[in-house]
This record gives sequence, structure tokens and C-alpha cells, in this order.
Amino acid sequence: MALSLFEGLRFKPGKSFVHKLDPRAKLLTSLLILITAFMYTDVVIISILLLLEYVLIRIAGVSGMWLKTLRGALPLAAIIFVITFFARMADKGMAFITFYESFAFAYRLVVFLSSFSLFFLTTTPEEIALTLTKLRIPYQYTFAFVSAIRFTPVLAEEMQSIMDAQRARGLELDKGGFLQRIRKMIPVLVPLLVNVLRRSYELAEAMEVKCFGVSKNRTYLKELRPTSKDYAFTAVVVFLFAMVVVARVFYIQPALHIFGLLGLLS
Amino acid sequence: MPAIEFEHVSYQYKSGVKALDDVSFTIERGELVVLMGENGSGKTTILKHLNGLLKPTEGRVIIDGTDTRTATVAQLAAKVGLVFQNAEEMFFESTVRDEVAFALKNFGYSEDVVKRRVEWALRFMELDAYAENSPFILSGGEKKRLALAIVLAWGPEIIALDEPTIGQDSLQKEKMAEMVRLLNTQGKTVIMASHDVEFVADLSPRIILLSRGKVMGDGTAEEVLTDVEKLAKCSILPPQVVATLTRLQDLSITRRTLSVEAAAREVVEKIWR
Repeated sequence: MALSLFEGLRFKPGKSFVHKLDPRAKLLTSLLILITAFMYTDVVIISILLLLEYVLIRIAGVSGMWLKTLRGALPLAAIIFVITFFARMADKGMAFITFYESFAFAYRLVVFLSSFSLFFLTTTPEEIALTLTKLRIPYQYTFAFVSAIRFTPVLAEEMQSIMDAQRARGLELDKGGFLQRIRKMIPVLVPLLVNVLRRSYELAEAMEVKCFGVSKNRTYLKELRPTSKDYAFTAVVVFLFAMVVVARVFYIQPALHIFGLLGLLS
Repeated sequence: MPAIEFEHVSYQYKSGVKALDDVSFTIERGELVVLMGENGSGKTTILKHLNGLLKPTEGRVIIDGTDTRTATVAQLAAKVGLVFQNAEEMFFESTVRDEVAFALKNFGYSEDVVKRRVEWALRFMELDAYAENSPFILSGGEKKRLALAIVLAWGPEIIALDEPTIGQDSLQKEKMAEMVRLLNTQGKTVIMASHDVEFVADLSPRIILLSRGKVMGDGTAEEVLTDVEKLAKCSILPPQVVATLTRLQDLSITRRTLSVEAAAREVVEKIWR
């Protein structure tokens, strides 16, 4: 299940409005969603963010892959929920607010992961590289980052095939208690790590053969040129974010307000 | 009771690719069978059905009387030892000995039995000298043999090999052919996926020819590998001896054989006449 999280990092080709947007506008949107999710622990606000993401995802036509990211994020969200719940229980006791806040913490992790899924699903690795370069990040780091993104789905496939091979040797990965299951992952993770290291050496050699880093002033086949649509989209996103900041200053928390009216917070 | 039965098996991957389309065949105990076909023809998909890693979307697979849909991978793996194409990339233990012992421990054998079987498997695959070495420092051919030793250790009745000769030099290929023959003479059912026509021609097994998930031919090596037209449809080049005889049609040589000696005799006879 957790492997499906990586599906959301794979670019899915398309010709939608979202695909054609300047990648910097999409990155900004994802970052602002992330900041908003960190500003609020309110399920109503977080749900609005998720709904906005869903609208963009529908326009991009990548809802299937995005839902896989959501599914893949659930185990992580469950861990966040449990940790937060026990941490808060020591402080606030076994109250409704403890449960609610733990849920909100887990929920915003899902929103955060899915917002970046929107960016990666609709942006080619080349566009990501261009975006980071325009942000004055040295190309060596950009290349490393883009390679990591590009190889993530490959790693997921490799992990699956290692799991198959170890299951064929009688390893029952889905049996036993929590600790036993973690121990059973060693025969999967060790070969995966070895393969990753081997691949990184091979990639480094291949890049050296192609004279990577020889020319200090790189030129690019494509250049990012924002259009009026990009400016309009960015303006709407920034306006919405400004509203969110204002609402935070005035401490508007709709969910807590509703729970207060229902007498759940007393 | 046959060792392996495929009854109208179809399999579709989650991506929507139909890898197998109404595949049916039966393999008796002690048979040596090779699956041949172009890339994506369904060879590996068939092998993964043998130990239940994949379950058919239609039809059924029966291994030694057990429907694979009713058994776990671990239960089926006790009967079917599958050696993956890149099995050597799955090693994780610090010594060759521990690597072989891993599966035996999973199957719950006692320490005494594990020790005995590990020694036997390493000797059988001529790896006993490397027992305390790390599996990662073995050569390509030794790694392949270790992958086979791992499977042989628990003594499955069916041995499935996925492309066992990939990346092997001719000496290692010969060794692999020798091992396969030896296992077969010991009564094991051996099923193998391979692209390597010369290796397969040398083994002279039963061949199941596949293309786009369908069975295109099923017969002896001599029948299948001399049918040049059918091989072409499956993007397989015939063995060199068959290709040579085909080009010598002007000498009115009609015989098709996999034996180099028989082919040479035929050519010499025609020329003398």
C-alpha cells in the first residue's frame, strides 16, 4: 500500500491547463498549500485545501494517480495520529479535543503530500530541473534531485520484485507482530540499498563519460516563459493565501467554532 | 497426476496489459520444458504463476493437484523453486552459507537439517569453497549458481528458472546446461524461460512457444526450432545449424535437424552426389 505513495511522484503526460501552467506557478501553489496546512489545525480549512487540490487534479485529469498518493499516505497519517494522540493525551487527557487535534495533524500530512503530488504529476522532470535552476540552485544539486524523482518509481518496482523474490524463498512478509514484520523487511531493504548504491555509481560514471559539469555556463533547449494565464493563476493563488493569512490573524477556526456550539469542547 | 496444469489461464496486469491470453498446457512430472518467445510474450508471467506470486485473472493453475488460488506463496514455494532472472541482486546475508540457509529457516527446518542441506547444495553447485565468502564478491556465474543452490537446498519437486544464461559466458552456460540435465535426470520437473536458442537446442527439451501471451507452438525442440516461419512470427532467430540448412536449399536439402553432425553429413552427401 505504501508503495502507491510513489505513484504520485511519476509525471503523467497531458495537455490540460494545469500541465501547461508555468512550473514555478505550480510549485508556488504547492508551497502555499503546505504553509496553509501548517498554519491551521482546523479540519474545515484543511478540507477546503483538499477540495481546491481536487479541482486542479480533475482539470489535469490525473485523479487516479493522485488517489493512489492519498491511499499511500494513509499508513504515514496513521502513525502521526497515534504519536500525536499519545503525546496530547498526557497533556490534555482523554478528551474530544485530543482526538480531534490528532486527527487534524494526520489529515494535514495527507494534504501536504497530495499537494506535492499535484506538482510532480503535472510537471516533467526537465521542467522541475529548469524551475530549480531558475531559483539559482546549482545544477549539480538540481540534477541529483531530479534523478531521485525520476528513479523513485523505478525503486518502487525494484522493491516489489525483491519482495517477490524473497517471498519465493518462503519469507512471509505479512505474518507476525509489528516488530517481526519490521525485522522481515531486512531481506528486502539490504538488496534494495545495495542496488541503489550500484546504480548511483553507474549513473555517476555515465555522467562523467558524457562530460557532465565541464561547461560552467549551461544553456537550455527550452526556456520558461510565463504567459498571461500563469500570471492570472498566480494572482488568484496569492489572493487566496492572503485571505487565509488574514483569517489566521483574526483566529478564524470554523471547526472549533462548530464544536464549541455543539458543546464538544467543554 | 501432472506436475503443472494451466487451464485457460489469462492474466491482466493492473496497468491493463494482458500478459496471458487463454493459455493451456500440461507438464508431466520429470519433464524438461522451455518457454520461448519475444520480450513481453508472457514467459516470466507464467513462471510467477507457478508459486502463486501471480494468480490468474481467468482460468486456473494447478500445481501438484493444488489450485494456486487456494494456497499461499510460502506453501507453493515449498513445491516450486523459482530462480529469478536477477536473483543474484536479492542477496542480503553476509556469507554464502547464510544465504542458502535463509529459505530453509523460513520453511521451519531444524538446525541439523539446515546444516546438512546447505552443505549438500553448496557441494552440488560447486560453491563449497566459497561458503564463508560474501555473496556480493562472487563472479557472475557463481552468483547464478548460488541462486540455484538456494532453491535446490529445500528440495522442491519443480524447478523454475527465468533466463538462467543471461550475462553468462560459454563455459558458464555449459555448466548451467550440465546442472539442468543433472536435475532432470534426478527426476525433477524443470521449467525454464529462455531466449538463448543455442543453449535450448543443446538441451533438446520440450518447447512451448509464446507470442503476445498466447501459445503459438508446443513440441519437441526438433519440431519447434526447425519451424523457421513460426519462429520468425515469435521474433526468434533459428539455431545457426537450422539457419545454415535453410540457406542451402539450392542443394535440395530438406532435412531439418538440430544436430551439427547430422547436418554436416547431409551436406557432404548432397555435394558428393
